[in-house]
Amino acid sequence: MNALVMSSLIQTLALIELSITSAVVCIWALQKFSPNPFPFVANVFLVLLIANILFWPLGMDLPLVAYVRGVTGDLSIVLTLILWSSLLPSHKPTPIAFKLAVAIIALCFYPFALGLGMIDPYAWGYGSNVFLATVLLFALVCGLANWSKGVWILAIAIIAWSAHWHESANLWDYLLDPFLAIWAICTCIGMMYGRKRDKARSGYLFRPG
Amino acid sequence: MSRVLALCFLLLAAVIGFLHIDSRPIWAPFALTSSQVIEEVDEPENSKTKSVNKDSLPRPQSDWLPDTGAPSVHAASLIALNDGAVRAFWFAGTREGAPDVSIYSSVFDVKSANWSAPTVVMDRISAEKGLSRYIAKLGNPVPARLPDGRLQLFFVTVSIGGWAGSSISVITSDDEGLTWSNPQRLISSPLLNLSTLVKSPSIAFADGLLGVPAYHEWIGRFGEFLRVDAGQVIDKRRMSSGRSAIQPLVFVNDAQVANAYFRQTRSSGLPKQIPVSHTQNAGQTWQLSEDLAIANPNSAVAGLTLKSGARILVLNNIESGRYRLVLLMSDPKVGQWQTVEVLEDDEALPNAQRKEFSYPYLITVDGDDAHLAYTWDRKKIRHRYYSSAWLKQAYSKMQTEAQEKSQEANALSQEVQ
Repeated sequence: MNALVMSSLIQTLALIELSITSAVVCIWALQKFSPNPFPFVANVFLVLLIANILFWPLGMDLPLVAYVRGVTGDLSIVLTLILWSSLLPSHKPTPIAFKLAVAIIALCFYPFALGLGMIDPYAWGYGSNVFLATVLLFALVCGLANWSKGVWILAIAIIAWSAHWHESANLWDYLLDPFLAIWAICTCIGMMYGRKRDKARSGYLFRPG
Repeated sequence: MSRVLALCFLLLAAVIGFLHIDSRPIWAPFALTSSQVIEEVDEPENSKTKSVNKDSLPRPQSDWLPDTGAPSVHAASLIALNDGAVRAFWFAGTREGAPDVSIYSSVFDVKSANWSAPTVVMDRISAEKGLSRYIAKLGNPVPARLPDGRLQLFFVTVSIGGWAGSSISVITSDDEGLTWSNPQRLISSPLLNLSTLVKSPSIAFADGLLGVPAYHEWIGRFGEFLRVDAGQVIDKRRMSSGRSAIQPLVFVNDAQVANAYFRQTRSSGLPKQIPVSHTQNAGQTWQLSEDLAIANPNSAVAGLTLKSGARILVLNNIESGRYRLVLLMSDPKVGQWQTVEVLEDDEALPNAQRKEFSYPYLITVDGDDAHLAYTWDRKKIRHRYYSSAWLKQAYSKMQTEAQEKSQEANALSQEVQ
């Protein structure tokens, strides 16, 4: 397969992937306004409908998803699969420990990756055996903690990186992106705030007189 | 059972991942050009040449890159073609960052000393279609020659925000720049791939890959050395950190050692000089070293090493403004930079009338001559050609002066003793 075809394939697959992801986000937003969760068949239908509207140019110079991609670039495989799997009927919430780990990693990673000091953890993602081993260890811990979906997601991310599925050759870009980081950080903050609030309420109710 | 299956799949991913890392090219030394291979720098010409009056040599020739009809032009770059001609790239539009900015190209025929009619290499719409995403504006084009003879053109695109939101893309040409491939996006930043730009020429590695000196100018302002294989960043190393140095220009000393000179972006109160970084392992690690004691007003620096070993720089050697542009020359053995020619100087004019002379770019075609292009008041791009005879004469004059100064200093120190 020559480089031109390969490059064109990468672009098309990336647009399809982002169209589906954007459709899933739209459905997630729609469900926020619905009193009942949508049935699986309705979700599939809506994904197909919205993804097609986003993917095809519909008479414009660029398809709508190209405008989304202009801002977001290619999202990480981890975020993509977490979002996609959220529509499955057997979906279970992502463990809070995973979100906490992602939040901590993101808070440590981004400042250094964006220019703080001479150590660049982002460069480890290009071909560091130690970094890959660490990611595998993290996936193993997910498995031992009985979160098999996490193992599948991380394994698929590693294979996607090896196969050069996206434009990036950096493993970090397949594992983490700013939206995943923001989601994890916001969820953790929300959870801590919720616990504090519950504690305060219970303290008020059961305070000795 | 599902957990066992998942762990088996992880094992498969581990094997594939480690095989992938194993297949990646290891970091190679710098490829050396003829000027770096020569151990002994050519001696200055004989006494006859020394005595030649500078005025008897042909003066450097100046002309303008062809007019595109656009009111604003900027960021010219050059590359030598196989037939000895020079191809220039620059961007032009209603203003810097406007949606109608396109990247233009023209070829300079050395024999007739004429530029060809400008052609559009890349516009915003072509970039959008090729990259399958929305593009708001185009920026700096920087060409490179691949070891297989093809040309590559790195250029900056922005989808959102100002130049801080830039990413680098690349196109390739099999026919010396007449036609170009679809663009490919280089991924070099983890935050939505924002804020990576390119300005200076690439460095070749011995294994045929390119070292692209790039920089970030958003949260941090620092240089990065990208190792690029066929339009894909396969590794990168930080050349500086913080918010004080962008647009690295790399001078290779030997297969392992190189210096990078930066455009300073320091806050007020800090020295307005050229920051310097140094590598001793072909760019795998960089350490900041002492500033080059030449004033820099937060403007780009261009440089070149000639076959003779002489190095030249073109820059604005003032602390603020870009109204003066000079050519400096140095013997790397001595390390002192001397002004050889003042190209532009509006110092005598009132502030409001001073023009901007910026974004110089230097190349050599045969290793002895030099072509320079720079922005002239954002309205035109000026091209200046320095013949090998002129540069040799300037180099020997500079060496003679340096020797005389050193003899004077020695004599003075002996007198003191």
